[in-house]
Amino acid sequence: MSGPAFPRRDLLRAAGGLAASAAGAQSLRSYGVKVIDAHAHLHHRARPTWREDDEKLIEAADRLGIDQLCCSILPPERPTTLEGFRESNRWMAEALARFPGRVLGYVFVNPGYTREALEEVRRYVGDHGFIGIKIYNDYRADEPVLWPVVELAIELGVAILHHAGHARWLPQPQPRISDAGHLAVLARRYPEATIICAHIAGGGDWEWTIKALRAAPSVYLDLSGSVIDEGVVEMAVEELGADRLLFACDMSLTASVGRIRGAAIADADKRKILGENMQRILARRRA
Amino acid sequence: MFDVNAYLGPFAFRPLRHNTAEGLLRLMDRKGIERAAVSSAASITYRNAHAGNEELARQIRPHRDRLVLFGVLNPAYAGWREDLRRLAERHGARGLRLYPRWHHYRLTDAACLELAHEATALGLVISIPIRVEDRRQQSWLVDVADVDHNEIAELVRAVPKGRFLLVNGSGYAGSVLGRRDNGLPANYSVDICLLTVELGNELGRLLDVLGEDRLLFGTGMPFHYPDAALMKLELLEASEAVKEKIRRGNAARLLGP
Repeated sequence: MSGPAFPRRDLLRAAGGLAASAAGAQSLRSYGVKVIDAHAHLHHRARPTWREDDEKLIEAADRLGIDQLCCSILPPERPTTLEGFRESNRWMAEALARFPGRVLGYVFVNPGYTREALEEVRRYVGDHGFIGIKIYNDYRADEPVLWPVVELAIELGVAILHHAGHARWLPQPQPRISDAGHLAVLARRYPEATIICAHIAGGGDWEWTIKALRAAPSVYLDLSGSVIDEGVVEMAVEELGADRLLFACDMSLTASVGRIRGAAIADADKRKILGENMQRILARRRA
Repeated sequence: MFDVNAYLGPFAFRPLRHNTAEGLLRLMDRKGIERAAVSSAASITYRNAHAGNEELARQIRPHRDRLVLFGVLNPAYAGWREDLRRLAERHGARGLRLYPRWHHYRLTDAACLELAHEATALGLVISIPIRVEDRRQQSWLVDVADVDHNEIAELVRAVPKGRFLLVNGSGYAGSVLGRRDNGLPANYSVDICLLTVELGNELGRLLDVLGEDRLLFGTGMPFHYPDAALMKLELLEASEAVKEKIRRGNAARLLGP
């Protein structure tokens, strides 16, 4: 999750075996669209098995019929340090070479380091072909510290994938977690920005989140997460429209694919969600 | 397929679809699920849980060939002994579901142990949903934790002849329940609903530790999309014979034809 949803679970503890198999893949491929996971993560190198675990993620994506994964690497410490996000972005750039065409990169920054964060975004979007910016919980989305990063994202034509969640309690490790309401405030200030609200199915009260986004028509919603509540996709389509929804897993693969497979929505809407919408977002990149 | 983790009726905190007998059966037909063990979703929050059992029994009466009744009882509430007898004798229940966190008791309380022994004597399976909803999305009215695995371990140890079925759970592989040589009787099984089969592969690890006879297909429908559990079976790396046990064989052995 974007990390994984909140409270942060260690979803990066991937282990266990996977071997190539066509099982399950046909069901997504049968929709006839390039399937893009808009929210994924590669593993931080503090984890001894990071390389194998990255490969397992790609193998699992193969089996499920996921063609591309939009990934970031998050350092474990909070608040995120300057060296922490610089190191993660270097590793992310190396990963693009390890998985050419399969992995797309989000540059991850702590917007509190304004100058350095902007340099990092320019470097990795401009020089390394990264496709977006990942923001976690170092600041809330309605805080002015985010504005320079959003303005640069608009200039470069890339999306901001923003960690989010809403519960009746504030997760103790995430005092500055944003919810959809905070993202709506940001979107009202920058309606031309492409903002993605992370993990509807891993961010607490999903009905609240969907309703809060009704008033923020420029905000996309990623459908990732471990929660498999029946009805979440249908409500999101009904309230927000399929054009604003993005297929994503955030490392909860069978849950997220199963959610789309099971949703009682039109196949045309599934095609938008599975890839067409994200392809449109990727095409906006000007860098 | 035999789904050991299904529900009917209203839930207090959000609308459910497919939650009538006819609606659930239509969903099951679409997904290729032949039979399901169902309990009342309303009983989770009814003060008198057995009232939900009565509603459920009336609703599924024409469909007993496909829907297997599990009753919900609260051993901290008056009259559970008579309710248990009625469930077994009048309604043909094959099992119970217990909600110790929602109903405010512990699995090791004397009344719960007595209920477990009496239900076992009547041949009923005792199912414990580890959670109903993800805690992060619960209403401001409630704060219900997942059922603690150590508490379950105490229960299964205290009732060695019991037959326990844990559903809507994960993290077994890292707890006493999924540990090899844990000293517990092999009297508990788990459903696959929330187990990972791709990254992490908890399902594969539990197959290795608990064995192929103690994992069962469960979806959590209509709370959940059944497709997530169906995908786990598709992706699981195991022989067809093992998958068949998970799909239906183990449930049929536990709950009868």
